[in-house]
Amino acid sequence: MTAHRLLAPPPPVAGRILDAQLHLLDRQVLDHDGVPVTTVDDLEVSGPALDTELEPGAAAPVLSALLTGPVLGTRIFGGRPPASRLVRIPWEDVAEVGVVLKLGVSGENLDAGWVERWIRDRIIARIPGGRHDPR
Amino acid sequence: MKRLLGVALGVLTAIGGFVDIGDLVTNAVVGSRFGLSLVWVVGVGVLGICLFANMSGRVAAASGRATFEVIRERLGPRAGLANLSASFLINLMTVTAEIGGVALALQLASSVHYLLWIPVAALAVWLVVWRVKFSSMENVTGLLGLTLIVFAVALFLLQPDWGNLAGQALAPAVPAEETVSTYWYYAIALFGAAMTPYEVFFFSSGAVEEGWSIKDLVQSRINVLVGFPLGGLLSVAIAGCAAVVLLPAGIAVTSLSQVILPVAEGAGKVGLAFVLVGVVAATFGAALETTLSSGYTLAQFFGWSWGKFRRPAQAARFHLAMIICLFIGLAVLATGVDPVLVTEYSVVFSAIALPLTYLPILIVANDPQYMGQHVNGRPVNVLAMVYLVIILAASLAAIPLMVVTGAGA
Repeated sequence: MTAHRLLAPPPPVAGRILDAQLHLLDRQVLDHDGVPVTTVDDLEVSGPALDTELEPGAAAPVLSALLTGPVLGTRIFGGRPPASRLVRIPWEDVAEVGVVLKLGVSGENLDAGWVERWIRDRIIARIPGGRHDPR
Repeated sequence: MKRLLGVALGVLTAIGGFVDIGDLVTNAVVGSRFGLSLVWVVGVGVLGICLFANMSGRVAAASGRATFEVIRERLGPRAGLANLSASFLINLMTVTAEIGGVALALQLASSVHYLLWIPVAALAVWLVVWRVKFSSMENVTGLLGLTLIVFAVALFLLQPDWGNLAGQALAPAVPAEETVSTYWYYAIALFGAAMTPYEVFFFSSGAVEEGWSIKDLVQSRINVLVGFPLGGLLSVAIAGCAAVVLLPAGIAVTSLSQVILPVAEGAGKVGLAFVLVGVVAATFGAALETTLSSGYTLAQFFGWSWGKFRRPAQAARFHLAMIICLFIGLAVLATGVDPVLVTEYSVVFSAIALPLTYLPILIVANDPQYMGQHVNGRPVNVLAMVYLVIILAASLAAIPLMVVTGAGA
């Protein structure tokens, strides 16, 4: 058996440790009223590009945004959309991470909601009864 | 008292809502060709759907998460998308079959050709999905579907040789004129008809629609554990009627009129009126459930806002997706394809796709992060593992058997 170098233990950090794969990716995102906004299709992490070595002592990469939109397609089929096509939900807007991610803001003003709003305003709300409350 | 009424209503709608076009056609076909020798499969299927619905209902109540949200989270986007594609297409096939079933039943009642009824049926489905409250929709179609009990009444009025029927059911044997592979092909079809995946999408999403919490679980368990087995008895009665009237006459069921022929013979014109109401209600109810399921699966996978408890404008993509699905169903039926044939294929493909939804639910039902203290108990898990084997075996055997038997011909 070859001897493996033990990985250095993770540095102590304040708060909860979140696993991107386990706790963030593909989780439902709700706005502050509990209305679904999207699913976390990918994450945006600041710092050097993927696969480049981190300089010792460099600042740790920071999770800057949840991504949605065309990035789901490229996550499944490979590739990377240009940065201008990424639909971001800034990490500052995330209020709570549980079985779902809750935002502290309304989904009404987010870029991530534009398709929903477009379909609502152009199609669904124009059909009679589209704004009728079923309850 | 109010609670008791709630339980009674829940059980009655579970019975009336159990049967759909898949159960009607498959049970009648099987009864007319194999007698009651495949009735054990209905038992296996009913126990399976009880187990599956119980697990997905508990996941929805404990975590507030519906089936396809869970599937995407557990399988990731790639396997999740493959799963979505398969489940969605089979569900679309079922939507098509159910709308065709409504139209065929209306043709029998009115003598107007079913192709003319199809747009009417699809429009009616859309109007209900668009406008009617979830609970009213469930209760009305479920209660009207109860008129299918006329199959059981007709079976008694036909005064069959009960000893002979019991013999077929208790000592199953392949009839002389059928082959072993067709026997097993229809066993899988019957299993798929009883355990259709859409029932689970619908059941778990319905739990979210009605805002179930843990304290509603007892009632949902009663609905499932009492309602589904009694619904299964209706399935057996359909097969029994076919076995008594059609099997001796050498009629193999290929149309909806043959499915209800034994009722007309046993219970006369009144019976016929009841069975027509029942078939329309059952297929219409299932058309609603499958249409909603197509919206649910897409919306939950992509994280859209969904649900009938919201105004349509607040779940715009969900409603648009369902409208598009209804148009696709209409387009398929407009080609003149036989809805009964679509049904026969849809139940087998349901059996093929079943592991895709069953396995993620089983995994999450054991995950304390979602379930807290309401994870599966040991007896449930033992049963669930047995069913995992059965479901996998049925799924893997279905395509080879379909090829060998020429789809049961």
